[in-house]
Amino acid sequence: MSAIALPARSARRIGPTGVVMLLLLPIALVNAVGFLWPVVNLLRMSFKETQATGALIDTVSTATWATVLSDSFTLDLIANSVGVSLFITLLTLVASYPIALYLHRSTGLWRTILLVLVIAPLLTSAVVRTYGWIAILSSQGLIANALLFLGITPPRLMFNLTGVVIGLTEILMPYMILALLSGFGRLDPRFEEAALTLGATPWKTFWRVVVPLTAPGMALGCLLCFVLAISSFVTPKLLSGGRVFLLATEIYDQAIVTLNWPVAATLSMIVLVLFGAALALYTRALRRIA
Amino acid sequence: MTHELKFGAVKRNTVKLGAAALALGLLTQAAAAESTVTLMAYSGLFQERYTKAVVEPFMKAHPDIKVTYFPVNSSAAMLGNLRAQKAAPQADVVIMDVSVSKAGTDESLFTKIDEANAPNVKDLYPTARIPDVAGVAVTFDNLVMLYNSDAVKEAPKSWMAMADKTYQGKVVIPGMPDIQGLSLVIILNKANGGTDYLKDVSKGIAAMVEIAPNIQTWEPKPEVYAPIVTGQASVGAGWNARAQVNNQTSGGKLKATIPQEGTVFQINTINLIANGPGGDAAKTFVNYALGPEAQKAFTESMFYAPTNAKAPISQDALDRTAVKFMDKVIPVDWIALAKVRDAIGEQWRRRVVPASR
Repeated sequence: MSAIALPARSARRIGPTGVVMLLLLPIALVNAVGFLWPVVNLLRMSFKETQATGALIDTVSTATWATVLSDSFTLDLIANSVGVSLFITLLTLVASYPIALYLHRSTGLWRTILLVLVIAPLLTSAVVRTYGWIAILSSQGLIANALLFLGITPPRLMFNLTGVVIGLTEILMPYMILALLSGFGRLDPRFEEAALTLGATPWKTFWRVVVPLTAPGMALGCLLCFVLAISSFVTPKLLSGGRVFLLATEIYDQAIVTLNWPVAATLSMIVLVLFGAALALYTRALRRIA
Repeated sequence: MTHELKFGAVKRNTVKLGAAALALGLLTQAAAAESTVTLMAYSGLFQERYTKAVVEPFMKAHPDIKVTYFPVNSSAAMLGNLRAQKAAPQADVVIMDVSVSKAGTDESLFTKIDEANAPNVKDLYPTARIPDVAGVAVTFDNLVMLYNSDAVKEAPKSWMAMADKTYQGKVVIPGMPDIQGLSLVIILNKANGGTDYLKDVSKGIAAMVEIAPNIQTWEPKPEVYAPIVTGQASVGAGWNARAQVNNQTSGGKLKATIPQEGTVFQINTINLIANGPGGDAAKTFVNYALGPEAQKAFTESMFYAPTNAKAPISQDALDRTAVKFMDKVIPVDWIALAKVRDAIGEQWRRRVVPASR
């Protein structure tokens, strides 16, 4: 901050650290205004209260926190959200890993085409893609009709947890693939060749050479997908049919339908804490891998 | 001759100048007297119909007042806007659900509407004046049972038809915290012998538990009407006004009925925002919106029941509202209900939703 207030004549005296600080200043300001300030506001909101009619009371009290934390439903929500998000992250990893590995090994025009195909879904909004899944998964949709044609009674594929898992897994796959690819830098094909020459089976080569070398990419992809899964709201809202209780959809209901802003803010702060925990776990995992 | 020509030219110029001056004068006069009223109300179908039926005729009758419609998709989001603008309001009038306007009243966001600032208030039905709410009712709506006329040939007689095995996976109800789910709990609570919904709704919850296994979704999107029109669902619960419009636009595919257990009213209030920029023009608009002409036009356009007892509404439109079925309307005190809504929601979450899994 003070760097900006200094008169121009002292510009020469700014050392390398000063230059770094100066260059960091714009983004720090953007983050302060665009991220920090809203979070502080949210924190402040969680210490307000509402009257029974929904009217906001401008006080500082821990009443809302006490209610939220003592409600067993909150614990259900947290457990459910974390569990579902972890499961989706795992599925995304399993589904994306082979694609990323193949992409990493392909070259030239083919690689470009495949990359464009991977990135293309990101250019479409999650709402549109979720509606696409509704068309596929509904009781009169593609899969149900195909199963009926084969003489199988189709199970319920959406408006439940199954739908949320399918939809979110597909929607998060591009992020996972890109994160994996960015972490595959250390994977030199010569290592695999060496392993194979030294008599390792392809399976052993994969487990002992490829997986350890790609672990940082996996950690990054998992962190990204977990955070996106637990905070995603549109897809669960459209595909859960109101049967799955998740933190993000509950925050929406509290803020927009029930009008209890302090509760919504408190739940949002809990999500932020979960993000922090995920980040801490990631850092630890990375240290162990690297 | 030259003189004459000159004179002619001068005359023509004078006429032109005069006309221009006159036009300019009119324009500046209009600009000087014109005030703007910003109306915050529901987006979508409501905006489209309300603009045609009320806003445009109002502006025609009051050329000096311009009404800007600021669409918002829910009452709660409107309150959010008003809270954010409390120091410097950007809107003058807001149309929102009664329980939300109670919250707004308690936060001192509104100026009380009465006979003094809106004389048409005197002609409103008694139920249109809600104690401890600054605004007054501008539309009445009611819960109806919706059905797809291809899948269901005869109008269902009871709400409990939704528990019928034939409708497995074909029932759509906007579940709690939406007030449509809440309304259904109250109707079924009374039908099953419940006496005071403010104290105990266990009988209504038990009835919902019977319906729950048939539910396709508790969150029909974009609204409950679309899946019934397309046949993706066969029966459901929704609001009458939108159901009637969907009945017309779908060529009768979607039909609505009030079952024997009855229905409840949903109330939209019109509210004057305290210190809005429009000043007295806002009061003129509120008075017009409550007047017989606007009430008639909007009821005939979107089939909300009128709140003005003197609105001369056509029989055809009245038949599509709950006015004929007043004996079937269960009185609900939405303000008192708001206080127990969380507790009812808790039972819904613990008992009704699990029964639908």
